[in-house]
Amino acid sequence: MADCSFGITGKDFVLLASDQSAGRSIIKMKSDENKIRTLSPGLALAFGGEPGEFTSLGKRRLMGGTSNELAKRGGESDMIKRDTNNFVDYVERNLRLYQIRNNTELLPAPASAFIRKELANSIRSRSPYAVNLLLGGYDKVHSEAHLYSIDLYGTKAILPYAAQGLGIYVALSTMDKYWYPDITRDEAVELLKKCVAEVKLRLAYQFTFNAIVIDKEGVKNLPL
Amino acid sequence: MSDPFSINGGAAVAMVGKDCIAIACDTRLGSQSLGLANNFEKVFQMGKTTFLGLTGLATDVITLREDFRLKNNLYKLREEREMEPKTLANLVSTSLYERRFGPYFVSPIVAGLGKGGQPFICGFDLIGCIDFAKDFIVSGTASDQLYGTCESLYEPNLEPEDLFETISQALLNAVDRDALSGWGAVVYVVTKEKVVRRVLRTRQD
Amino acid sequence: MNATVASEYSAERHSVPIEHRFNPYSDNGGTVLGIAGEDFAVLAGDTRQVVGYSINTRYEPRVFDVGDNIVMTANGFDADGAALIDRFRNSLKWYKFDHNGKRLSILSAARYIQHLLYGKRFFPYYVSTLIAGLDDEGRGAVYSYDPVGSYEREQCRAGGAAASLIMPFLDNQVNFKNQYVPGSDGKKKKELRYLSLEEVIQLVRDAFTSATERHIYVGDGLEILIVTKEGVRTEYFPLKRD
Repeated sequence: MADCSFGITGKDFVLLASDQSAGRSIIKMKSDENKIRTLSPGLALAFGGEPGEFTSLGKRRLMGGTSNELAKRGGESDMIKRDTNNFVDYVERNLRLYQIRNNTELLPAPASAFIRKELANSIRSRSPYAVNLLLGGYDKVHSEAHLYSIDLYGTKAILPYAAQGLGIYVALSTMDKYWYPDITRDEAVELLKKCVAEVKLRLAYQFTFNAIVIDKEGVKNLPL
Repeated sequence: MSDPFSINGGAAVAMVGKDCIAIACDTRLGSQSLGLANNFEKVFQMGKTTFLGLTGLATDVITLREDFRLKNNLYKLREEREMEPKTLANLVSTSLYERRFGPYFVSPIVAGLGKGGQPFICGFDLIGCIDFAKDFIVSGTASDQLYGTCESLYEPNLEPEDLFETISQALLNAVDRDALSGWGAVVYVVTKEKVVRRVLRTRQD
Repeated sequence: MNATVASEYSAERHSVPIEHRFNPYSDNGGTVLGIAGEDFAVLAGDTRQVVGYSINTRYEPRVFDVGDNIVMTANGFDADGAALIDRFRNSLKWYKFDHNGKRLSILSAARYIQHLLYGKRFFPYYVSTLIAGLDDEGRGAVYSYDPVGSYEREQCRAGGAAASLIMPFLDNQVNFKNQYVPGSDGKKKKELRYLSLEEVIQLVRDAFTSATERHIYVGDGLEILIVTKEGVRTEYFPLKRD
């Protein structure tokens, strides 16, 4: 499924934007799917990749099936690609578990290391997750904003601005041109709008976007 | 290009001088022809005078960097001393061979000064076979180019400043002839007295 | 009942015809290098010819004086290289018959070779071609080609097995790439200048000893053809034979 997401950092904030489409091959089934997940008060994830419709179908059938069928399907479901949503759920709940156990949130840097390691292990497993992530976070201890790009292999890059999916073809050059280290929040929003406009202008695919901003106050929705 | 060694690109090189060593790398991280990041360093300091360079599949570079950071820290706590370059070399070798039939796709290099300050460098293949060299070690997608530049620019017993110039020119001219390497470079020159880290200005294409 | 002799072949059923394929190309190794100076040009090549891990011969000249003060090499698959050079020599001969012994300029030779190569666009000569000589102003010229005839005039070019080893060295030492004026904070590039013939020959020898050290397809001998307005001169230096 075609997808498209952006991340832009400033000195004390991160913007994350993602398209809202869901479907298979050339068919769009939804245009209001939220593909940005808030993981903790200072951390959010924009995710794209194989959405794994087969798996969700399989799951539904499994729930209606007998235990015998369930056992039979166990091996089969291993063969198909696992859901990106499933991975994000897993990450979200493990970070929540860490918070409950230690009574402290994981900062963006160690959270990124955890997520990366999960994908790096997954790629050598029998059924790897095919998921690309943009992780944005605000580090309250060091008062810094962070953006990480993590691909399905577990390749982590620490970036000032990033695009994933179809966005790389049209928006990276826009960001190269307009981004600078001291960019203000308003300018970053303008830049994000430029990227979205470029997507509308140059890509054949019709995307709708939702966006968030992360800063010391937490995660907020950003009307585009 | 589904060869894991040339998906992300990158190059590293180490050289021996007179009572000193130098180790350098580029800073590109790519995905095939697309450049993703220009801050992806591939040389890591493991001790006061011990360095590890890792090129190849970027996810494995990060995994192994963290793995060796862990093992190095545990060694320091248990032994209450720093790991010798030779010890690190054997650690790298055995760690890679543990994954003999499902290897990490990396070409590591190790460089450092031994206990008496004697220079040590070596390289490895992906399953840990050590290549001990007296002069220089190259690794990465620009390894052919690096072999050419190093073989013709290198001479033995260079002083630290001359070694810096030699390794820099060898790396820069090699990565300029490789589309998957470049986008910045970092050089470490290590003597008994001090470690000097220099970030080079390079072509940005 | 008919008794038949069991045949090893009877069990083989062929629903599709067996295809046999002839591979028309092979790699004969070797490497070549051309550098242009102010009033001279050199074309150098090693003299080892290989196929696979076997050395066919330790002395098979790779670089040729093709007449009219032009030297030429076509490195890669030697049979194609020889065929290309033969064709060029023959054309040059007929050019002289047809045009009253007129001299062919290196500019025209270069364009003509493009057509020789592109003429076999769909069954190419598997070679990297270099020619060297003097242009109409008497300055050194090197032209380099890809297998199907894209070409370019350059100051220097390495071709063949060890091209990737030699080329970055040449960038550095001939075109002074990545070299800056000391104390200029990397702002001022080292000024370009023509190298003398002595300097060029030393560079060529260094390039080939280095390539010999690291590449198994390079070695045995180095033959340098030097073009000046006096004509073509050959120098030979031994290389490691291991």
